[in-house]
Amino acid sequence: MGTLSPFLDALRPPAFHRTWNKREPGTVVKKRAADLPNMTALPIRSLMPDLPQTIWSEDALLGPTNLDEVRRQAQAKADAIDWSKIEAGRMVNLIANPHGLQLCGEAYVTMLEVIAAHIKETRGAKVRLRIAESMGHIENPDWVKIYRLEERFGDVEECPQMGAGTKVDTKLGDMYVTKKLFDAPYFIHTHVTEMREGYLHRMLDRLMKPFGMAYARLESRSAYHFGFGPRTGQIVSRCIFESDFIQDRYVATMVLDTTSEGVVSVEADNDLKALDKRLAAGIMRNYAMAMKILGEIKDCVVVFDDHGCGVYCYAGGIAFDNMLCADVDFMDLDNLSLLAAERHDSAEPGLTMGKNNAIKAIVINYMAGGVPQPFLWDNYPVHVVGDTVNRWMLNDPSNYHFDRAKAPVWPTIDEAVAAACRDGGTENVIVFDRTPGAFRVSRKLGEHLMSRAPAVREKVENVFLPKWLRQRGLAS
Amino acid sequence: MLPKRVRMVAQIIPEKCTGCRLCEQVCPTVAIGMRPRLESEPGKGRNIAILEPEACYNAQACVEICPDDAIEMVELDEPFDVGFTLPQVDEDAVKALCRKAGYGRNMQICVCTDTKAGEIATAIISGAHSPEAVSLMTGARTGCVELCMQPILHLLSCAGHGDAARNPKNGFQWYGESATLWQHVQPDGTLPDFIAEAFPEYPLDKEFGDMAKLKRR
Repeated sequence: MGTLSPFLDALRPPAFHRTWNKREPGTVVKKRAADLPNMTALPIRSLMPDLPQTIWSEDALLGPTNLDEVRRQAQAKADAIDWSKIEAGRMVNLIANPHGLQLCGEAYVTMLEVIAAHIKETRGAKVRLRIAESMGHIENPDWVKIYRLEERFGDVEECPQMGAGTKVDTKLGDMYVTKKLFDAPYFIHTHVTEMREGYLHRMLDRLMKPFGMAYARLESRSAYHFGFGPRTGQIVSRCIFESDFIQDRYVATMVLDTTSEGVVSVEADNDLKALDKRLAAGIMRNYAMAMKILGEIKDCVVVFDDHGCGVYCYAGGIAFDNMLCADVDFMDLDNLSLLAAERHDSAEPGLTMGKNNAIKAIVINYMAGGVPQPFLWDNYPVHVVGDTVNRWMLNDPSNYHFDRAKAPVWPTIDEAVAAACRDGGTENVIVFDRTPGAFRVSRKLGEHLMSRAPAVREKVENVFLPKWLRQRGLAS
Repeated sequence: MLPKRVRMVAQIIPEKCTGCRLCEQVCPTVAIGMRPRLESEPGKGRNIAILEPEACYNAQACVEICPDDAIEMVELDEPFDVGFTLPQVDEDAVKALCRKAGYGRNMQICVCTDTKAGEIATAIISGAHSPEAVSLMTGARTGCVELCMQPILHLLSCAGHGDAARNPKNGFQWYGESATLWQHVQPDGTLPDFIAEAFPEYPLDKEFGDMAKLKRR
């Protein structure tokens, strides 16, 4: 793909799926934000022309959509990995996560299929798919049905982190993991490299993050947030991964390396630490521009129109947490950047963050629940489209405080966005609708971001990246 | 203290329920028990889950864990509030417990319900000596539980209730406290050398300094 034209209006957001708790946002949502007047799609590649080419994209406008190269690379990596630890006839848990399914869809499933087939064929072992979940029934579409995982993998189970746990002895003391993920003699870790929750992992042991999050029981997951500082929570992931219990069972890791546009390669290693070190610089380089350009937005209305929950709604391949904290360089390890500024009037770059004053109002066309978002309801005017979506929000057990937002409910998205813009004193709109490879923005905002791109690119190359890499002992 | 408005409660679908007890084992407010299945009732299993509606705080853990889609959440015609008022207790005792645990009184512990450390401490001092008793009194730990579990266990432990019996006995709504970095801080405010040696990439000294700065604010 060459450089795309500045705007790519033909790029569409993905359709809504039925959710696990039987909600049908695809039916309830009458109009997508992409169909509002004056909206456009600003490709990340227009901001960063040297973005690596994808081997798989969700949309043909961004790159190949067939899975041949993903399959070929996954097989090549599987051939190169040492699987000798796995004894014939024994069970292997192939661990997947919903983020991989959400962002990389069939490419992620293809990688899982290649691993499963390879293990069965070369080791004569049994393989079962285990999906690490949190409040999956609220947060997620029904991935098992959408991707026919039972048909394709046979033994499949979603393993919520409130399920039975196993105590693990670590360097720092007892920690807890979800029992069903590790109840086989072996397991294989899979992941995607996308920039979600960078304010938590800080690109320290990035690929180990699920061990302290999705694979951890609630005791250790909450200790990640409350028993460590914001730059040291990943020590939970490291502790669990390096524990004897996990190391006895761990075989290898395979990941999809991604950019805003999709998958750029399949990577794998027996040595997770080495793999993490090898990919870290590229991950930061590939996402830096998308992250930092958001800091150039001076005023805007944010529209959620996605399956994620608040900070986990996506635009241009990155999660909303990057927009919420766009006024702070949380990748700079000199900054504490604690996401606990909900009760502060404004964020204090360096110490706390969580209120980006550029966001003037929020519109919810659709978003999932399951994760608390009081820093949205308490800090910004909120508008909701439709009674059904409003009821879903009010009923969310993780957002009891949503009624504090006293959000006006509008019959149409046009009215909701118009009211939000009027109240916020802005015409700029950015939509988190999971469109891959591009920010869905109002045209004027798109033009503004294009105009700011050269300066941001220069700062990314000469200021941010060199510092981030130096702080992590990575070569530039 | 802000009330949590419970707008939905669980509803068991008897013909789908197999009596596997998973819902009973994860409910944070112990709102689910079992009853024998009557001969006239269709379905598998000798038991059927039964709900105590007033103890159901819309946590939805049961829905998440149920392997048989045998639980649905239904909207209430008349929502009810929980955690609206707490008993009066000695404020100094609340402060002391929070201090011992290392939390500010106004520190948000359960983000889903906006329950503060001081409110958890108040509940514990007034007789809530297990995580489920804390949840019933405050509403905390009835959302995602990803943030609040450890600090609630820690506050209970600091109050001398770290050995609360599990309810039900074989349940897994909580296990023990998970290890933290803070627990390793030595009296002189430093960490033992083995931690710095084990995690050299992490800005441990800076983290402590900046967290202290924030606490002083």
